[in-house]
Amino acid sequence: MIMNWVALIPALPALSFVVLLPLSRAMRKRLLWLPPSAMAASAALSLAAFVRTWPGGHHEEPVWSIAWALGHVGGRPLELGLALDPVAAATLVVVTIVATCVQIYSLGYMHRDEREGWYFAVLSLFTAAMLALVLSDNLLLTFAMWEMMGLCSYLLIGFWYELEGPRKASQKAFLTTRVGDLGFLVALFAIWANAGTFELAEVLHGAGEWAPGAALVVSLGLLWAAMGKSAQIPLHVWLPDAMAGPTPASALIHAATMVAAGVFVVARTLPIFEHAPGVLTAMMVVGAATALAAGLMAAVQHDIKKVLAYSTVSQLGLMFVALGAGSAVAALFHLTTHAFFKSLLFLGAGVIIHAAHTQDMREMGGLARHMPVTTATFTIGSLALAGVFPLAGFFSKDEIVTVLLHEHHYVTVGFVLLASGLTAFYVTRLWFRVFSGPEQAEELHEAHRSMLGPMTLLAAITLVAGFAGPTYAEFLGHEGKWPEVTVALISTLVAAVGIGAGWWFYGGRSKVVNTRVWKQRLGYFYDALVQKLYFDLTYDTLFIKGYFRASEGASAFDAHVVDGVVNGAGTAWVATANGAHAFDQGVVDGAVNGVADASKGIGGLFRRLQTGRLQNYQRLVVGAVVVLMLIVIVSRGA
Amino acid sequence: MLSWIVFLPLVGVLLCAVLPKSQAHLAKWIALATTAADLVLAGIMIASFDAASAAMQFVTDVDWVPQAGIRYALGVDGMSAPLVALSALLTMLAVLASWKVDKKPAFYFAMLLLLQVGMNGVFAALDFVLFYVFWELVLVPMYFLIAQWGGPRREYAAIKFFLYTLLGSVFMLIGIIALRLQLGTFSLTELAGLGAKLPSEVQWWLFAAFFLGFAVKVPVFPLHTWLPDAHVEAPTAGSVLLAGVLLKMGTYGFLRVSLPVLPEGFASWQFAIAVIAVFSIVYGAAVSFAQTDVKKLVAYSSVSHMGFAMLGIASGTAAGLNGAMAVNISHGLTTGMLFLMIGMVYDRTHTRQIADLSGLANQVPVIAGLMAFASFASMGLPGLSGFVGEFLSLLGAWQSTGVAAWLVIVGVLGVLFGAAYMLWMLQRVVMGQPSHIVADQPDANLREIVTVAPLVALIVVIGLNWDALLRFTDPAMTALAKLVGG
Repeated sequence: MIMNWVALIPALPALSFVVLLPLSRAMRKRLLWLPPSAMAASAALSLAAFVRTWPGGHHEEPVWSIAWALGHVGGRPLELGLALDPVAAATLVVVTIVATCVQIYSLGYMHRDEREGWYFAVLSLFTAAMLALVLSDNLLLTFAMWEMMGLCSYLLIGFWYELEGPRKASQKAFLTTRVGDLGFLVALFAIWANAGTFELAEVLHGAGEWAPGAALVVSLGLLWAAMGKSAQIPLHVWLPDAMAGPTPASALIHAATMVAAGVFVVARTLPIFEHAPGVLTAMMVVGAATALAAGLMAAVQHDIKKVLAYSTVSQLGLMFVALGAGSAVAALFHLTTHAFFKSLLFLGAGVIIHAAHTQDMREMGGLARHMPVTTATFTIGSLALAGVFPLAGFFSKDEIVTVLLHEHHYVTVGFVLLASGLTAFYVTRLWFRVFSGPEQAEELHEAHRSMLGPMTLLAAITLVAGFAGPTYAEFLGHEGKWPEVTVALISTLVAAVGIGAGWWFYGGRSKVVNTRVWKQRLGYFYDALVQKLYFDLTYDTLFIKGYFRASEGASAFDAHVVDGVVNGAGTAWVATANGAHAFDQGVVDGAVNGVADASKGIGGLFRRLQTGRLQNYQRLVVGAVVVLMLIVIVSRGA
Repeated sequence: MLSWIVFLPLVGVLLCAVLPKSQAHLAKWIALATTAADLVLAGIMIASFDAASAAMQFVTDVDWVPQAGIRYALGVDGMSAPLVALSALLTMLAVLASWKVDKKPAFYFAMLLLLQVGMNGVFAALDFVLFYVFWELVLVPMYFLIAQWGGPRREYAAIKFFLYTLLGSVFMLIGIIALRLQLGTFSLTELAGLGAKLPSEVQWWLFAAFFLGFAVKVPVFPLHTWLPDAHVEAPTAGSVLLAGVLLKMGTYGFLRVSLPVLPEGFASWQFAIAVIAVFSIVYGAAVSFAQTDVKKLVAYSSVSHMGFAMLGIASGTAAGLNGAMAVNISHGLTTGMLFLMIGMVYDRTHTRQIADLSGLANQVPVIAGLMAFASFASMGLPGLSGFVGEFLSLLGAWQSTGVAAWLVIVGVLGVLFGAAYMLWMLQRVVMGQPSHIVADQPDANLREIVTVAPLVALIVVIGLNWDALLRFTDPAMTALAKLVGG
């Protein structure tokens, strides 16, 4: 009871939404101080919650929990609940810090937009949902928050809804993730049928005794849902398009938090997956394939945000690999470090886009000379992403490799290292294209302090967060270890190769390599990458056009066949009715004269209509009722 | 109490009837006052309803036609009380939405009020003959509402609606007579215990007869084609009540009559109903996606939504039956609201063609926001009422031994297709640059906001606290589930 203030962590940003929602645009603008303040308060409370959870470790009982009945079905309560345990406490801190940074940054970034208030309202609602998902100890609540985040993501991707791009991207994002959500729903049904509850601890505890196959259905459903939300192949197609939304929203939703929710939920439910080892293997395959393929696609993008988007897909793939190897800690630690450095990169990209007035890296260059803070912070983020010691990404990626080696997944290690090398390559490519070379825009200048401040904070965290690795593992109740020297050396070598290749292609003004030759050498493979490996094309032809055709076919079928039968029957009936009319007058009328008289008033009303058909009906019904009465009376008498 | 709720609107009908032609503009005030008073009564009933009990409450039971054993019996349980309240609320909102009707207003509002008598009566009747009388009574005012105040093809649509439903109810009538002959009572509460004694083949036939009567009203594929025509041609208030209340009479029939009276009939029909339900879900959604008229799109979406209710019914489990009730109420709120929003747009632009509408969000943000809200509620977003019914219906179906898992998985696809037609509509109508028809139109006025405000509130309250609804329905549905062995 004493710690019920924990519930305020999601409630405060939700309150911002509720306050801003009914206001006019002008009124919202005057209240813009509210959402960042609420967010900062929420961050402070998260830190307090973290302190109260310290030193963590493995406990059965959460530090704090609360449950309430959502409804009663079959006399049994359908409960929802929140609980604070080490995993939640650590993730709350990550989410609130990134969210606060993004909100403060957005004050500067969005201040020219007249619907700024709406942006902050939705961003706050989103954060509330994410925080509630982190605290949730109930899978029904998790699903509800999961969907709520999907809605906010939809609204923010489509924030500039007048434009074609955001409009289409928002719909694509919602529908693609909903394809995944179907898996979540089926998992929920199977959980309810087997466990009779959605309470997480109980579900995990009893998973061993479920009906055969149940754990398989549940884990497949959850994996599929997570693949949608965390943009894993083949459901990754929505994330690059989602970049049509405002950049700070991308930083929060499509880099740090929502897309990580898939990983988070799987990490939470990993004990169920252990009863379906095949699904774990599938998860590793999906993660490894995604990490590599998305890294390749990132390497050929020209849009700075799309490079980062594919990079996010690729990094999430690494987290799936860790989960597939059975290590929730490695996945969650990479989730944590990635949240910091990737949101930093996105915020930096926002500043770069504002300065360069374009998202196309081919039209950028020379920014380093004019934007020192952005350059410094972005460089830190880039090196962290590339996995360079001693930045955050180095430690978390090494932990994944260590886990894989320990579990003898050597092929997957190869995939991960290849993806890491690619990561180092494309981030170097990005860096040189943006920051070095000749300037292509005039009046380049540094962004406002309100935007640089959050970036600096995130950069500082990125510098040191890696060293928290062993402590993080111990806080979550696992053994904390530093990366092994051999692993560190190998991955450093891989990063160096990637950076070197990037530098060789794109570094240095004097000797820029003509990439066209290389593109020609790669031939079809390069074309395939530029075409996003034909995923969108395939879906468009197969599913979207197919559904359009099916739906139009169904509509025509409905109008001509189903309704055709009805209209045909109607026409036939009119003919019969004419016959019946004669019968009506000759036979029925004679028997029911009294009643017919009484119905004359109503009959008169009907007569005013152009058709006489209803009149027949009226009499038929009256006749039928009378016949009924007669039968009843006779049967009672008998 | 219940008699007052049912027949109070009749006072309004009489007042409208004696209203001199010169004072016809007062009809809307009479209607508003009557429906508001009725809503207050319904509110009192809900507030004093003992939700813990599964028994009938506020019962009136007197002889009506003693020679035939027909009684004037009214009463509500947790199944019908929310539906009576829904009908009272939506009728008042329908009056508010009709404020601008100036063609024969006295007749118009009299018909709306008469419709309410029928709707309230169906849900309150405990005698099968009385039930049937109210059931048929509903047809007449709705027929006139469509035929007199409808769109260009109103006569075709009105007659189609009338005949189609009438055809269904003829079968119901046969069923009523047969039950009376076999079991010697018209009392719905007594029948619920007696019917199980009938031989299973008799139950099978009776179930089939009632199925035709109720399924037309729901409606399920392939008996649904009256619905889009009726909706498109009906005036806004007609569409609101048609979708909001009239369709629920069908599912209510299943819950009140078919399942409790004929449990063995249900058992043998269970799988077939589930197949029809799932097909309706997917088919309705697919056809909806192809529509070019917003109203027709929402009309077909009703086929899909009511499919979820039918799937919940087919499950025969407590979860599924509660889900069916939740769909009933939520669909009334969300689709009622969608029709109100479409009405507002139509009042301004005089078009419902998706191709003509664009950019509502920029020009009329309040209308656009409310429309988007109703759409998300309708597509089952958790936290809003639509999710409760969809989720529980599917959950119950998954639990049910009578419904195969693959059917549920196909039904789950309806959740995706449901999002598809709604988002595709929003993308074209709400987003984008305002079209020239939309440009310069005024945003929602106070009356319009007041009209939808109660719906918004209920959609959120039920979505956040399922017990706001389930505490009424659960005892009744749990008892029903036991009866059919779910």
